[in-house]
Amino acid sequence: MTAFRGAQASTPQEAADWSTGRIVRTNLRAIFGRAYPRIIGLTREPSWIFFEILLPFLAVSAFVYVYRSLGAPEEFIGFVVLGGAVTAFWLNVVWMMAAQFYWEKDQGNLELYFTAPMHLMSILAGMAIGGLVMTSSRALAVIVIGSLLYGVTFDVREPLTLALVFLLTMIPLYGLGMLFASLFLLWGREAFHLAQLLQEPIYFLGGVNFPIKAIGPVAGLVMATLPLGVGLDAMRQLAFVSGKTDGFLPVGIEMLILAVMGVVFLVAARLALGYLETLARKEGRLTLRWQ
Amino acid sequence: MAVSYDSAGVRGITVADAWRSFRTAIGLGWAIESNWSDPFLFAVYTAAKPLAGALILVVMFSVIVPPGGNTDVLQFMIVGTALWNVVFGVMGGLVQSILEDRERYRMMKYVVVTPSSLFPFLLGRSLARVLISFVAVALTLIVGVVFIGVDLEPDLLMLVPATILGVVAVIALGVFMAGWCLQLRQEAWSYPEAIAGALYLVSGAIFAIDHLPDFVQPVSWALPTTWWIEASRRGLLGHGADGVIGQLSNGEVMLWLVGTTAIVVPLALIAFRWFMYRAREAGLLDMTTGS
Repeated sequence: MTAFRGAQASTPQEAADWSTGRIVRTNLRAIFGRAYPRIIGLTREPSWIFFEILLPFLAVSAFVYVYRSLGAPEEFIGFVVLGGAVTAFWLNVVWMMAAQFYWEKDQGNLELYFTAPMHLMSILAGMAIGGLVMTSSRALAVIVIGSLLYGVTFDVREPLTLALVFLLTMIPLYGLGMLFASLFLLWGREAFHLAQLLQEPIYFLGGVNFPIKAIGPVAGLVMATLPLGVGLDAMRQLAFVSGKTDGFLPVGIEMLILAVMGVVFLVAARLALGYLETLARKEGRLTLRWQ
Repeated sequence: MAVSYDSAGVRGITVADAWRSFRTAIGLGWAIESNWSDPFLFAVYTAAKPLAGALILVVMFSVIVPPGGNTDVLQFMIVGTALWNVVFGVMGGLVQSILEDRERYRMMKYVVVTPSSLFPFLLGRSLARVLISFVAVALTLIVGVVFIGVDLEPDLLMLVPATILGVVAVIALGVFMAGWCLQLRQEAWSYPEAIAGALYLVSGAIFAIDHLPDFVQPVSWALPTTWWIEASRRGLLGHGADGVIGQLSNGEVMLWLVGTTAIVVPLALIAFRWFMYRAREAGLLDMTTGS
């Protein structure tokens, strides 16, 4: 606590008058502080690793065997494995971003966030960075184990573009999680149902287990709204030999869509959070548990 | 100081009280599941998740099998995925009921200290989710028949006993899971999904178990879920899976279902009793894990 100890302020106004540097430092500390438990949790709760790898992997395995029972070409097995890895990020966004503020309210942390001298976007950014690091290890494990076990062959000719697409996918994905965090809190008790609703229907719309163009015209709607579907389609095009023919749009256009989505979702998250803060101060019911 | 315990002398431990406890818990469970939700969202949630699960399989089938191809496999998958809603509903319902009452509403300790047993309360409390899962089964089958061309040929002599035995076996597995999850720390919420996911993989729900590696197949044969799905499929479609299990007669399939259920049910009840004993001894009934 010594870091912020400075000259004694003579008035509350003076104490509240922070320099830009101090505001930035405080928010960076908040980001790091919120990311820390998720990153350190990698080593402190090994059982989490087991479940976070096992859950997507079981689903991946079931769909791999479905394709095998149908006599599908081998690249479809790869599509499922890559889809399973990206699913790990989506599950993280839904359960550990979107529903997180609701759980925090139940645990009594939310009021502390509102009263602490930092921006709530810093908390959300910390959750996103921590979640991204944590889930990357799970996703990587799903890809490695899935590839070894099911003999998936990747054909990556543009690794830098693939890395850029991954990054461009994660920004709107976690931006969407930030937006949902505020909305879930407003919708209260529906949080659990909403989180459930954002799984299988999104796996279907996002083409997690098949090329997205297979769902026909609906794929156009997905391209405009769902970063999971756009990113997965672009990654498949860059990671598999037949990816280009199964792609819905050229990779360049999909990258552009992802970039726009990133900006839109982050701005929307900021606006939703502002509304939430206003509501918290005006009605004072956001700290009521089980509502 | 040793305390003598004579259950016969304790007022309240009667069948009538257990029934009253069960009925009250049903009302409570239903209120939590439905009354606290927006009716529209509740209806969407009930329908969208199972239908999306089935649609994923439909699209996977359609990208591999050309139009006009043999749809027996698709019917096999639709019926399997429809029935699997019961496993997710029962397991998730029982485990989440017990964890919610301990962690979130923190009232399980009060139920345990009443003269009535926790067991009828737990069954009643989770019944709402079980009923919702049957709605999901019906919806998926209706959509399968109307839009996908699933050709139902019900054989009630097969279907009714298979359903009764199968649901009893699945409830037994759920009771076991609920007791087990009381012993766990933060990862307990993930267990039902993980175990149901593992059973989904090995029970031949969406592909014949012959496609599994040889060392996994004995596990499939030992599970009541495999025989429940197979018997129900024969009761609904008039035929079962391809492969070894498909070659068994209806009588043999029912015999396997009866046998595996007869083993699983007493084992689950004994395990639950021991789990409850251990939970009392170790003070786990009012533990909160912060998860």
